[in-house]
Amino acid sequence: MKILSLAFFLAVCSAAYATQCNVDPVNVPKQWITMSRGCRDSVRKQIQMEVSASIQYLAMGAHFSRDSINRPGFANLFFEASKEERQHAMKLIEYMLMRGELTNNLTSLINVRAPERKTWSSGQEALEDALKMETEVTKAIRTVIVNCEHDRSAAAGQDDNDYHLVDYLTGEFLEEQYKGQRDLAGKATTLKKMMDRHSALGEFIFDKKLLGIDI
Amino acid sequence: MKVIAVAISCLLALSAVSADTCFSDVSMDCSQASNSLVFSGLPSCNAIYGHFSRQGNVASELQAYANLHLRRSYEYLLSAAYYNNYQTNRMGFSKLFTKLSDDTWDKTIELIKHITKRGGTMDFARRSTQETITAAKNSTIELQELESLAHALDTQKEIAERAFFIHQEATRNNHKTHDPEIAQYLEEEFIEDQAETIRKLAGHTSDLKQFIVQNDGNDLSIGLYLFDEYLQKTV
Repeated sequence: MKILSLAFFLAVCSAAYATQCNVDPVNVPKQWITMSRGCRDSVRKQIQMEVSASIQYLAMGAHFSRDSINRPGFANLFFEASKEERQHAMKLIEYMLMRGELTNNLTSLINVRAPERKTWSSGQEALEDALKMETEVTKAIRTVIVNCEHDRSAAAGQDDNDYHLVDYLTGEFLEEQYKGQRDLAGKATTLKKMMDRHSALGEFIFDKKLLGIDI
Repeated sequence: MKVIAVAISCLLALSAVSADTCFSDVSMDCSQASNSLVFSGLPSCNAIYGHFSRQGNVASELQAYANLHLRRSYEYLLSAAYYNNYQTNRMGFSKLFTKLSDDTWDKTIELIKHITKRGGTMDFARRSTQETITAAKNSTIELQELESLAHALDTQKEIAERAFFIHQEATRNNHKTHDPEIAQYLEEEFIEDQAETIRKLAGHTSDLKQFIVQNDGNDLSIGLYLFDEYLQKTV
């Protein structure tokens, strides 16, 4: 019934009375839209990667929230990381909109898929897994930079260097990646040392430290 | 003294085996000299009580509910993006969809936390039995103003009605799955806000329809512009 009424609605609005419900699209000059195709495709792919990372972090948060795992500090850390990844996707979308992109093919931009991994044997393993994931994201951003600095698919004679986007990715995104990686690496190191001889206690104390509790 | 204590703990252990309680797990394993605790893992020492995760579908429907929120959240994000491109340029609509996206995103994390609070685990592949497969497929993000509001209204109703469904499973009318904690959680964190959101969206479509219908449709382009300005100020 619902589907029927939606279909009816779509039919009414988009087919028979196209001009009744919306203003016809207008054309304004397009010369200002200068992102090359290879660069645009790379950024689109990067947006999907950030979304996938956000979902993978959700799974980590879910894992450490379980009663038998009981590491709320880790869970918090990963839920926050998940929000950050979503923010990154939003920032990239925002950027493309500024450059006149994303006027079509929106639907295929983001695919929500279940995360690849669901369990981790310890907090240590999860931190190292997160670090690995961030390293991959960083690598992917570097690839976007390469593609936007010199787009091989650009027509001969076309200026294929997207200076501004390259600067934005280098200054904002890579900066954040390197800081994030350093933070994760530091945490993984400290935890590993604490786990050396007193693994159960070490992880417990580290978890409370993540929560901001001094015990 | 020691003998009595051992005898008591043995008795306790024996009597409690069938009870399946955390205490019986603990006293059974702790009374043994060997390290049986390492292997047993105390299966009854968990957060699960009532019927949650044991009987019925409340736990699995909550997983599906979290997934529904996650999916909708990123869909709304795309709608927000669409209305922020230079050709549509409707910042108010974009703001409206950004808010929907943010809200459903926060609820996703909320739900995951609550599932684990009750001793469950999160399954990101879970789908609700209420879900129709066709509905998800042929949806496009690139809709006109009124269409997009209609779609938002429909999807918000779907989310609200799903809460009703899970609530129904969790209420005492259903002895097998009765779970007042989940019922009140849904009431407090979801159902009240959902009525608000749905009413607002319905109001928006009603206003927009007036602009389209009246004055022989001559108000359309300015009406859409003004309505977008209004959304920018009020969302």
